[in-house]
Amino acid sequence: MTSSGTPSTTKETLSNVNVTAALDVEGNVPLKSVQIDGLVVLKIIKHCREFFPNPVTGQLLGLDVNGVLEVTNCFPFPGSKADDENELVDGARYQVDMMRCLREVNVDNNTVGWYQSTYLGSFVTHKLIETQYNYQQTFNNKSVVIVHDVSRSTHGNLSLRAFRFSQAFMEAQKESKFTTESLIKNKLTFSNIFEELPITVKNSHLMTALLHSLDDYEHIIPKTTLDKETVVSPLSPNFDTLELSLDPYIEKNLEFLLEAVEEHTQEQNTYTFWQRNVGREQAKMQSALQKRKQENSSRQASGLEPLPEDDILKMYKLPAEPSRLDSLLITAQINNYCKQLNQYSGPTLGKFFMAGELQK
Amino acid sequence: MSIDAATSALHLSFPPTTATGFVVPQSRSFTVSVNPVVLFSVLDHYLRRQEKQHRVIGTLLGVRSEDGSEVEVRNCFPVSHDETDNQVAVDMEYHRNMFELHKKVNAKEVIVGWYATGSNLNQWNALIQDFYSREVMPPFQAIHLTMDTDLKNDDKLLGVKTYVSAPIGISAKPENCLFLPVPCDVKYFDAERSGLDLLASAKNDTDRSTSLFSDMDNLEKTIKAVFEMLERVTDYVNKVLDGSIPADNTIGRFLMDTISVVPKIDKVEFEKMFNGHLQDLLMVSYLANMTRTQLAIAERLQLLV
Repeated sequence: MTSSGTPSTTKETLSNVNVTAALDVEGNVPLKSVQIDGLVVLKIIKHCREFFPNPVTGQLLGLDVNGVLEVTNCFPFPGSKADDENELVDGARYQVDMMRCLREVNVDNNTVGWYQSTYLGSFVTHKLIETQYNYQQTFNNKSVVIVHDVSRSTHGNLSLRAFRFSQAFMEAQKESKFTTESLIKNKLTFSNIFEELPITVKNSHLMTALLHSLDDYEHIIPKTTLDKETVVSPLSPNFDTLELSLDPYIEKNLEFLLEAVEEHTQEQNTYTFWQRNVGREQAKMQSALQKRKQENSSRQASGLEPLPEDDILKMYKLPAEPSRLDSLLITAQINNYCKQLNQYSGPTLGKFFMAGELQK
Repeated sequence: MSIDAATSALHLSFPPTTATGFVVPQSRSFTVSVNPVVLFSVLDHYLRRQEKQHRVIGTLLGVRSEDGSEVEVRNCFPVSHDETDNQVAVDMEYHRNMFELHKKVNAKEVIVGWYATGSNLNQWNALIQDFYSREVMPPFQAIHLTMDTDLKNDDKLLGVKTYVSAPIGISAKPENCLFLPVPCDVKYFDAERSGLDLLASAKNDTDRSTSLFSDMDNLEKTIKAVFEMLERVTDYVNKVLDGSIPADNTIGRFLMDTISVVPKIDKVEFEKMFNGHLQDLLMVSYLANMTRTQLAIAERLQLLV
């Protein structure tokens, strides 16, 4: 925290801004944005690239100040081969050890979330939900997951997105009840599972100096053996974005989309099946109830005690509603794919017409 | 571990040429390439140094080519050390622990050397170099990378230099060593490119921060850059035609090459291809939009039930 003095004596002297910062220690200010250090961006990219296309995860370290989550460092988690008990214990020990080691060299020792790599935006999974729920539960809602899409980033534009769960989803997950009723109660739909937080990237002064130095590439690293012509500055303009081959990207995206739609249909089928079952059971119950009533009226006519109606209600048990979480996630995923396709097609149209002009 | 300084330390900081009289162990050409993430990590470590600490050191991790002539420094981690006028102590325990932890994530990366900030090499460098020489698998050599965070050189730039060491003297002593500069290169992968671009876009900003671009913005930026380059080339060609600048054969050849890269496609053929792809793209985007609308309707209905 920026102001860590004893609150009782120093609070009066603090300016308005600092008071909120001091109050923030209790975690009252909700997160509004995420600010990432340049180093973290590079570290995440490096880790994700090395294990591409396998998904990887890692821990984010930093502080939250006045609703801005500052991510100043991160470290990768070892890839899990099997999720048996041993692995989990190892993972936990690794985390503790790493945090202790980093603290010794003055790295921020505060977990603020985790990152994950993804392929074409297919990140809305059960695993992510569980992990993020744990994080948000443990760290008082002040934790985000940063999703890095390697395949999109190679197209020349970095794809980093920060998410956290909405309050509605947290409540629903807490009860771990995803029935139609509870979804309506929490006003939960696929579009408000996550809250996306805007990301800004900040470099330290020294890093800015380094970037300027990299511009002057020949000065920073004296060339002795290589001839000058082959020297290309690392910051020379990048024209990857102008790449025209769009087929593989769209193809893969559509493929994923189809898969998701298929899963969705399956979910729908399960749901209608359940509905039909409920209907059938209810019809059965109604007819039994009717019968009992008739019987009772005839018994009453002949002067006998009416039979109770409660046991019929007990006899027919309505099947439990299947969890709607899956279908919720799948719809969110479909929405994601569609958004991506749209986002991609816009610039590509532009590129097309540019290529068309070039041919004239 | 504390390494006591020997009083008879012979310290040669920067030999300009290979001195005669001893054998350089690795006479093959030797190159080092550094991943940008290493440079950024070093700076971050330097920023977070202890008070009154003048410089920081750490371990470099990376991979070697099979014959050992190329070393790629891919990662690094800081190591705490303590340095006074007559003694230097490196936290070896810490170094080992960290290395074990790193090995769990990426087993391919091995210790290749160490880094330090500051531009000058002193007798402590020789001692630490001796320690790291034993850490890397023999017969390979430890690489020493320095970064000039004091900006005291003539260019006022963060100079990056790499060295290997050679023993010197009649009897080998750890504190006697000769640092030989080796060529070094910054190398990154395609995926890292976009990240680096983003960081670079913040370098001229006063508050040193930037937000992520959308694909469209990025494309616009790139197209603008292309336009600028085209204008520069046109300008140059016009000037040559005017005779105000003498023609340069090399540039001419480059221009020729560039122009010949534009593929010659039959006009009808191109039209067909263009329209085909355009229709595909529009179709896909239309369908995607429709799916999203469907989802949106479903969402509304769901809440109404």
